[in-house]
Amino acid sequence: MAAAAVRMDESALIRAAQGGDERAFEELVRLYDQSVLRLALNLLRSPEDASDIYQEAFLRVYKNLHSFRFDCSFHTWLYRIVTNLCLDALRRRKVRKEEGTVVETSEGVLDRMDTIEEERADGDPQRRLLSEQLQRRIKSVLADLTPRERMVFEMRHYQGMRLRAIGESLGTSEEAAKNCLFRATQKMRAALGDFV
Amino acid sequence: MTCQDAKDNLPLLLYGELSFDEEERVEEHLGSCESCRAVLEHQRALQEAYDTLELHPSMDLLTRNRMELRQRLAVASSKTSFWERLRHGFTIHIRPIPAGMQPAGALALIAMGFFGARMLPTNSLGVNVTSAGVDNRPVTSRVRYVEPEQSGKVQIVVEETRQRVLSGKVDDLSIQNLLLAAAQDPQDAGLRVESLDLLKSRPESAEVRSALLAALQHDSNPGVRLRALDGLRGSATDPQVRQVLTQILLTDDNPGVRTQAIDLLIEQKSDRMVGILQELMRKEDNGYVRLRCEKALKEMNASVETY
Repeated sequence: MAAAAVRMDESALIRAAQGGDERAFEELVRLYDQSVLRLALNLLRSPEDASDIYQEAFLRVYKNLHSFRFDCSFHTWLYRIVTNLCLDALRRRKVRKEEGTVVETSEGVLDRMDTIEEERADGDPQRRLLSEQLQRRIKSVLADLTPRERMVFEMRHYQGMRLRAIGESLGTSEEAAKNCLFRATQKMRAALGDFV
Repeated sequence: MTCQDAKDNLPLLLYGELSFDEEERVEEHLGSCESCRAVLEHQRALQEAYDTLELHPSMDLLTRNRMELRQRLAVASSKTSFWERLRHGFTIHIRPIPAGMQPAGALALIAMGFFGARMLPTNSLGVNVTSAGVDNRPVTSRVRYVEPEQSGKVQIVVEETRQRVLSGKVDDLSIQNLLLAAAQDPQDAGLRVESLDLLKSRPESAEVRSALLAALQHDSNPGVRLRALDGLRGSATDPQVRQVLTQILLTDDNPGVRTQAIDLLIEQKSDRMVGILQELMRKEDNGYVRLRCEKALKEMNASVETY
């Protein structure tokens, strides 16, 4: 019931935004922009690159909203735009062999390695077991995944999206997304098996 | 199911992405294989390790992005509306507006024209367009927003303007609308004077007359107001123009403007005109304006002062 109400509100917002209501568009952005920024930040691990994705994605949404025909969910339509932009950025990064290292978190800009030290100091029993070496290794393995594997892994593991939704966003089948996730997890287990 | 098959499927099992039958087979195997149960725990620990790398954008980063997006959308929105107006050949359908709203409407129209002129898209006009520079690089820019970042960098949003040369006749509506916009340029009084000078050749246009009246009433530069008065010379008998001229005569702080207003108003002599000039004589301090006013009253066979 509540979900239906949310969907109805969203449809009304989309239609109002399509009619030129800028406040409706802003509300629509606010429904999703936090998760878009989180996806981009986790994938690219750079606040500057994540901000570029955020800006470009919502500008494209603004320019193309008139062509949205409700034949899929707005979330799927938006994520098609966002994932395409992120995949392009990951592919460019693969070519340049670069990776963002300094990140901005809720505490401000931090190096992830510093974060681990802080967590260790907190004495969390689960995290205490994780060495700095393991964190670096995970980061390195993530960077070695293909852009599509990385994307599917991020969307499933960090965004908690179901494979069906991931497939729809990437313009592929659920089965193809599943194969992608399978390959990613195999690679990660092979590379990290000795560490845990 | 072999141990290898079960191990391969453990990540998908933990993500809940196996089909009902696949899950059944893996669970059945795990129930009878201690070694694979240990691998499952290992996989679980591995997935928990991934969680420690998860990043959450700060509110600061989110807020900055929202602000920047709002600015970019404002620019994009202006470009779109201007493009739409150009596509429709600047045809503006005016419906009757309540009398009290007319000045506001006129100002809004001029403001739209001004902003539109600032957002001119490439090859958008039906007139000859010549690029001022072969590489089309922006020649002017304006910083709209600056924000220091904790990394030591600075984030700057720059609005860029490209310079191009347009040519066309004044009676071309596209050109006329650009001139109307230029006549409201807040920075350049010279540009406003030149634009009004060109526009005055089209006194029959309601938009031009509104622009001339707006400049006469609101422009801070007396040179611009004098040029607007000059442009209204052919419309001095129009009741709306006379109403504004009367107001200017009694309120404008520049003697030159007041003198020219007298010249225009006395082209149509009337008892009401006599009353207005006599009222001016009571409060006018400037000797030249008083002389001009006195002469006008005598030409109308009226007494200079009221007793």
